[in-house]
Amino acid sequence: MPRFPKPWSKKRGKRILGHALAGEAGELTFYAGLFLIGVFGFSLVLINEVAPESVSQVPTDAISTGLGTWIFGILSLASMLTGGVTLLYRLARIGASSERRSAIAKMAGSIDMIGPPSDDAQALPSVPKGSAITESPGERLTYRLAAEKAKSGIAGPATLALLWSSAWLVLLAVVVSGFWNGQPRWYLAALLVPFAMISVWSFRFFLNQFRQFAGIGPTIVEISSHPLVPGGQYDLFISQSGRLRLKRLTVLLTCEEETFYQQGTDVRVDRHEAIRQVICKERNVAVDPQAPWEQQLRIDLPENVMHSFVGTHNAIRWKVVVSGESQPWPSFCRSFPVVVHPPDLSLKRSPQ
Amino acid sequence: MNVTLCNDDGLYRAGGELSAKWRISRVPLDEVQSVEVSVLWHTEGKGDEDLHVHHFQRFAEHQLRRAGLADQQVLQCVLPATPLSYHGRLIRLQWCVRLRLFLADGREIVAEQPFHLVSNEMARPHSVSSDRAAMLLPKSGGAVRGKVLENVPAS
Repeated sequence: MPRFPKPWSKKRGKRILGHALAGEAGELTFYAGLFLIGVFGFSLVLINEVAPESVSQVPTDAISTGLGTWIFGILSLASMLTGGVTLLYRLARIGASSERRSAIAKMAGSIDMIGPPSDDAQALPSVPKGSAITESPGERLTYRLAAEKAKSGIAGPATLALLWSSAWLVLLAVVVSGFWNGQPRWYLAALLVPFAMISVWSFRFFLNQFRQFAGIGPTIVEISSHPLVPGGQYDLFISQSGRLRLKRLTVLLTCEEETFYQQGTDVRVDRHEAIRQVICKERNVAVDPQAPWEQQLRIDLPENVMHSFVGTHNAIRWKVVVSGESQPWPSFCRSFPVVVHPPDLSLKRSPQ
Repeated sequence: MNVTLCNDDGLYRAGGELSAKWRISRVPLDEVQSVEVSVLWHTEGKGDEDLHVHHFQRFAEHQLRRAGLADQQVLQCVLPATPLSYHGRLIRLQWCVRLRLFLADGREIVAEQPFHLVSNEMARPHSVSSDRAAMLLPKSGGAVRGKVLENVPAS
């Protein structure tokens, strides 16, 4: 039995199921269709605006209002542009080697209209600029490092708890009004119990996150110079505030390899700590709001280590990590990214 | 097809000049459609591949006729400061000179000559033998001759 050609291909690792050209043909057909639909829609709008009486066959009722015409026109134009530009881009990629595609992309990136590369990017390609790190001057040392954004904030749990509690209260009001008017809604009353359980769970989850957020005070990390260079020595100031007793407090300098890869339709990330340098390790640390834990430390960056690197799917990231095990608050771990430049080539920066 | 680097050890300083020679032999000119020569870095390892071309030259058929296909051609370019070659557990960053030959029947032949881009510090003989250098670079030195890596029909 002849098999109907599929307009897509499936990638499993480096293996492609189906014909390699099938996916490209499917994409081209989709974008060509998008472009043609845009042309058709925009033509309808133009006909409706310019000569609605002369073309009696065109059904212009749906787009006869001023606002409707504008919305329809903008959508058609967007469809036309998206389809046309992407179609041309995909056509240019067919038959080109990966090196040629990269060279074309590099050439396109160097056009002034798109945005000329900065001096840093030209001097040290694929090395993160780290300009955000040097934006904030420190009190004790030259720069105050910015913490990596926490993966879990309290805005999400707070919104969930608030919305769910509000929904439960609205439901309660409806049930109570039903009883009040002598028309009890038993099925809604039965729903109150599971809704209340979810509401309690979301509120407890929010409280737990809030304890973690508010109980452990801010961590301040300042550094004497940035970017770092292999073989260099740097002063580091750490301050941990809050009201907590830490069983253990550790300050580390780490170099982490980070890779992104596709597994089926999922994008996965894998990390490996290539270098781990313990800068400070203390036990039984007491932190008081009046007397935060403060230490002036020293980083000796080894020679011949890899500089910071950022690609599309791979990265090498350096960071200062402050972690603590505490009671009754949950343990915490805060990362402060730094940029390491290759030796002899580091760009000189002055503190702002 | 072969690519020969000017440094036997395959070590090049960041920001230094790369000089390489390439030649295509025993292929009739009528069968060649075009040739692409590029200096690039790419990643290997667990993650998806990143590839960035630093220097790119494409020779069409008429340019190859003028230059002479069997004659040795010279490639010269100034290397960038980064990214340096790296050999880690999840990521390997490899520089190479890649020669891609497009044949008239749609086939492609690729020859690749890897080299190491290192800092000035590491380019000094005493630094390369240090313990840390083993993490940055593979122990085997760069081969002098290029080799054919693949022979795939054009998609």
